Order: sequence, then structure tokens, then C-alpha cells
Amino acid sequence: MVFSDPILLGCLLTVFLPLSAFALIMIFTRDNPKLSLAISLVAATIPLIIAWTFFFKLGGRAPIIYNFDWMVSDLVKVPFGFLLDPTSLVMFVIVATISWLVQVYSIGYMAGDPGFGRYYADLSLFALAMLTLVISSGLLQLYIAWELVGLASYLLIGFWYEKFSASEAGKKAFVVTRFGDIGFFMGLVFLVIFYGSLDIATVNSAAVANSMPPWLITTSGLLIFCGVMGKSAQFPLHVWLPDAMEGPTPVSALLHSATMVAAGVFLMTRIFPFFAASATTMTVILAISTLTLILSSTIALAATDIKQVWAYSTVSQLGFMAMGLAAAALASGTLFAGYYHLTTHAAFKALLFLCSGVFIHHFGTNDFFTMATQGGRKLVIPMACITIAALALAGIFPFAGFFSKELILTALAHLDNKLWLVLGLFGAFLTAYYSFRVIFVMLFPKSPEAYSKVPGHIAHVEDEAHGHGAHGHADDAHGHGHDEHHGVPWVMIFPLLVLASFTLILGFCQDYLEKLLLGASHPHAMNYFLLVAAVGCALSGIALAWLDWGRKDAKCVGFISRFPALQTFFIQKWYMDHFWRWFLNRFIYGIFSKWFTYNDRRVVDGGVDAVAFSTVGSGRLLSFIQTAFLQYNLLFMVVVLAGVGIYLMMGR
Amino acid sequence: MLLFNQLQTYLYLALVLFAIGLYGVLARRSLIAILISVELILNAASINFMAFNRFLAPHPAVGQVITLFIMAVAAAEAAIALSIIVAVYRKMKSINVEHATELRG
Repeated sequence: MVFSDPILLGCLLTVFLPLSAFALIMIFTRDNPKLSLAISLVAATIPLIIAWTFFFKLGGRAPIIYNFDWMVSDLVKVPFGFLLDPTSLVMFVIVATISWLVQVYSIGYMAGDPGFGRYYADLSLFALAMLTLVISSGLLQLYIAWELVGLASYLLIGFWYEKFSASEAGKKAFVVTRFGDIGFFMGLVFLVIFYGSLDIATVNSAAVANSMPPWLITTSGLLIFCGVMGKSAQFPLHVWLPDAMEGPTPVSALLHSATMVAAGVFLMTRIFPFFAASATTMTVILAISTLTLILSSTIALAATDIKQVWAYSTVSQLGFMAMGLAAAALASGTLFAGYYHLTTHAAFKALLFLCSGVFIHHFGTNDFFTMATQGGRKLVIPMACITIAALALAGIFPFAGFFSKELILTALAHLDNKLWLVLGLFGAFLTAYYSFRVIFVMLFPKSPEAYSKVPGHIAHVEDEAHGHGAHGHADDAHGHGHDEHHGVPWVMIFPLLVLASFTLILGFCQDYLEKLLLGASHPHAMNYFLLVAAVGCALSGIALAWLDWGRKDAKCVGFISRFPALQTFFIQKWYMDHFWRWFLNRFIYGIFSKWFTYNDRRVVDGGVDAVAFSTVGSGRLLSFIQTAFLQYNLLFMVVVLAGVGIYLMMGR
Repeated sequence: MLLFNQLQTYLYLALVLFAIGLYGVLARRSLIAILISVELILNAASINFMAFNRFLAPHPAVGQVITLFIMAVAAAEAAIALSIIVAVYRKMKSINVEHATELRG
């Protein structure tokens, strides 16, 4: 059956190839970099081919569903299977492509790292989890893959585990996302108990047909959104994502910007009809995602670490996607706007990170002011690519981000309350400002003294930054002793070019994708006012960045430094990390841990101790009859035998 | 009815022998005395067998066979018990059971 059905075979291959690659590398070939690389690349290339074949062959067709019973109980049936419909096919292609490109890129970036084999094993594990997540047919299967993705993320963030901050960041990511996943799981439990099915297609059609009680949709929708908040780094669970930048930069590109964090938004599109059926849920989502957008954009204004800037821009763009989805749901629109932004964002954000990776690899520092003063713009191709990506991020025609941002803003404009639209435009302005702050600093570097006033920028890091093994794992250079100014290997340039071309092309695939996803393309009237407003916001952001950082006699202090209180607030990341620390100390350690510890010490341990002590005590009591006096034993025997005899006589 | 021609006479005799033996087993402190008491108990059982054989059994040989069997077993048992007693004496220079306290709990 499996071999006669090429589609099913393809699905199984995409799941089992990365899994076996992970197992093979971890068990056998971990210490052999070449062989590990070969295994991992094969296991990434075949799913890539399958993904693109499916995309073109199955794109326009009706959804294909395979279900195999995994767990059947009286009322509950949990199937495992594959669901191939346009929503999953597009994401399937994105994940397969970007993870393949990142694996190619990592050949150059990770060359010579002692953990090379382990790195590729972890990437394969991630591919397994993410591909399963994308094509799974049931929510429980999706949840399992979701947690596996979290595990892969933990392993990769803490990849340089001997660095304390890296292992701490891995733990933080794992625990914070798990915090949201509790909600996700509770939402699933609600669905199972009160509805009885976790099949995605069934849940969606039931929500559309109103055959589910509204309170259930709202409750489990909000709970499932908790999981989305964790995974897609929405306020207030966004704190793990910037710390996740401790991992190798290709990992940041793959997991923490393009695919894994998009899993949350993907889940929203996956069960979009279900979410959309509750206006309450959608309003909450809209508010949270808007807050996320503003918060993270403002933090990015003040960051000096290039990866931090992109990390916060990822958080804000994820918020933007969620806004688009929520607004579309409230105005009875379609999922296309948010999903389209997810697609374009995957391309240009991966590009941004991979370009930054080239710079980090080359200069051995994460601080883009230092990169600029050391001649970052001499790396022509990465500089061109990062500029393209930043243009797309800012939403400038004709790059991909322009089209998708436009769609989301249109969706926001359909809402009655125009406040959301204004906030969205403000977010777009901030996005353009902070991304071009990086670009202008790198394109038009000033003397190092000019940057000495920038808060957070450490002026003289040159000695340390080029850490040649002596400093071990100084920052991201992770001391594999590379030459100071070697050329950029082609395996790192090639993915940049592919992603840059995607960034250019994707904008013009809008109609094609819309037809694919929705079955029909809706020619929407161009809202010229909105168009002008959006482009105007982006351009004014860029212009402000030019005034602050780009022009010859620029003061090289952000406009934000006129408001010192605000600037401190942003540099301290809105004190969110402080808040969580306080929250943990006050409530988790102060209340829960205390009571659970008490319960553990007194009730659980006490119970076990009571069993032990009573056994010892009764043994001590019984040892009194072990007198070592032969005739007591005999007497006892006689008495018992007499007793048995009397009992038998009485029975007669 | 003559006394020696009745079953009860022999059963009472066996009971008395058994009781004396049991008392000896439980009350005497010397291992030799305990062994002798055990022999008394065995003889009580043998008397029972002979009495029932004489008065009740349809086939006259069964009880006698078992009595002979008990005598053989008792001889073997006496040999083994005496050798154990010799071993105990060698170990603790005493055959008083009150001194055999190595297994005290």
C-alpha cells in the first residue's frame, strides 16, 4: 500500500529520513564531520525535492488526508496521519527550502567546530519535528512535533553549552515556551473532553458549521493561543527569543526567525476557521500582537547587537502577522494577509540573519558599530543582500515585504476602530527606522570615536573580537581560529543569493499564492490612501535613520536619546526580564515552590518514611519471638498444631 | 469385658506416653532427654497403630508394617540426632538447650 502510493511514500520519507539521519549521526558518525554532513544533507535534500514536487503537483487539488488510528478509546480517537492542503504545502516548501539552505550555509559557518556532527544531528532533528508539524493531520500529532521543535531549539541554542550564557539561554527558551505550551495542551484537553476530536479538518469544519458551543471555541482558542504566544514570542512570553541569539547564527536564521517561531502563526492559520469563530479570542490576539509589535520595535531602536536588532524585528513581525490574522478574522476576511507575510518574512528574515552571520563570522563580533568601523561594507555581496532584505523588511516597493505589509494594513483598515491601523503604521515606521539604522551605520561608517556615545556599544573590542582560540569562545567567534580576512566561502554566499532572489520574486507571486491558498484570487481595490500612508511611514523612518546615522555630519545618536527616560526604558527591554525575575521570585519560588516543597518534604517523603519506619518497627516487635530458645519454638509449634486440630474437630 | 481386650485401654496408654513425651520435649533442658522424649512420642504413635490394627483394621498386617517402619526410622533418627548432639557439644561444651543462643534476634 505504501509503495503503490507515491504521495504517502513521500510523506513518510520526509518524516523518517531526518529522523534516521539524527539517529545515525548521534549514534555512529558524530565524530566524523564529513560523513555526518553527507547524511544530514541527503536527509534534507530529499524532503526538499518532495516538497517542491508536492507544491506544484498537488497545489490546486482538494486536500489529501491520510489517517491511521494510533489511539482508540471509547469516545476519543486519536489518529496519526498527514494532511496536505494548500496551507500546509506552502509552509512545507518554506521549511524544507530554508532548512536546506541553512544546512548548506552552515558548511561554511560551522567549519572546524568541534561539535560539527552534533550540530548536523540537531538540525536533522529540527527538520524532522518541523516537517511533521507542518503536514500533521491532527492537533495532538502537531503538539508532539511542536514540543520536538522546542527540544531541537533548546539543543541548538545551547549548542556551545560550555558557554554559560548559551546554556542558560537554551534553558530559558525551553522553559518559557513550555510555559505557553501548558495552555496549548489544556486547550487540546478541553477540545477532547467537550468535542471529542482533534482532527484539524474536523475541528475547522465544525467551527464553521457552528456545531461547537461558542464558549468552548473561545476557551480552547485562548488556551491554544497561549502556545502560540510562547512559540511565536508574543508579549509577555517574548523574552526567550532575543536570548536565543546565543546559538549559532544559521540556527537563528532557521529557527528563530524563519521557521520555528513561525510555527505559532502557522498554527493560527492551520486552524484559522476555528480561531475566527470567536470574536473574543481574536480581539485578545489583536491586542496582544499589537502590543508585541510596538514593544519589540521600540526595543530594537536601542540595540547595538546586530542579532538583537533582527531578533526584536522578528518578534515585531510575528506580532504583525498575528495582527493581520486577527484583523482579518474580525472583519470576516481571509487568512491570506497574515500567511503571505509569513511567507515573505521567512525569505527576507532568513536572508537578514544569514548576511549578519557572514559579518559575524568575518569580524568575530556581534556589534554592528564595530563591524562598520572595521570595513563591513567591503563584503559586497552580503552587504547588497542585507540591504535588499532590510528594504523588504521596511516594506519598500518592489521587495516582498511591501506587498505583504500592504495586505495586512488593508486588513487592519477594514476594522471599525482605526487605532489598530495607526499603531500598525507606527510599527512600520519604527521597523524602517531601526533596520536602516543598521544599514546606514554599516554602509557609511564614521570614525570609531563617533560611536563612543552610543549606549550599549563597547568601543574598544578589537583585541577581543578577533579571538584566535586564545580567548576560546569569545562571543560568537567561538574560536575556531579562522584567518582575519579570509574570503567568504561560496557555500555561504549561495544561500544568500537564493534567498535574495526569493525576496525579489515573492512579491509578484501574490496572485498565484492567493489562488493556491484560497482557491480564487480576489482582486482587491487598491486603497491609495493606505498605500501612500504605508510607504510614507516607511520612507520617513528611513529618512530619520539617514538624518541620525547616515549623512556625513550625523550626530550618531538616535532621535530617541532626546528622551533619556524612554531610552533607558527601551535599553532595559521594557524591564520585561526584570518583571519575569520578580514574578518568578515572588510567585513561583515564593508561593508555589514553597508549598510544593512542603508537600514533597512532609506528605510524600513523610509517607515513604512512615512505611519504612513501620516496617522496621514491626520487624523489631516480631524479633522478640526469635529468642533462640529451642523449646519456645517447639511450644509454639505444638500450640499451633493443637489449635489447628481443635479447629478441624469443631468443623465436624 | 477384660481391660486388655479393649481399644480404649491402648489409646489411653498411648495418650499418656505422648503426653509424657511432649512434656519432656518442652520441659527438659538436656538434648539427650529431649531425644528420649521424642522416642516416647514415636512409641505412643506406634502403640496407636498396633491398637487400631488389632481392633479395627480389616487387614491385620498394615499397622504392623507401619510400626516396623517407624522403628527403623526412629533408629536412623536417633543416630543422626546423637551425632548432632555430639557436634553441638563440641561447639559449645554443653548440651543444654539454654546455652544454644546463637540465633537470638
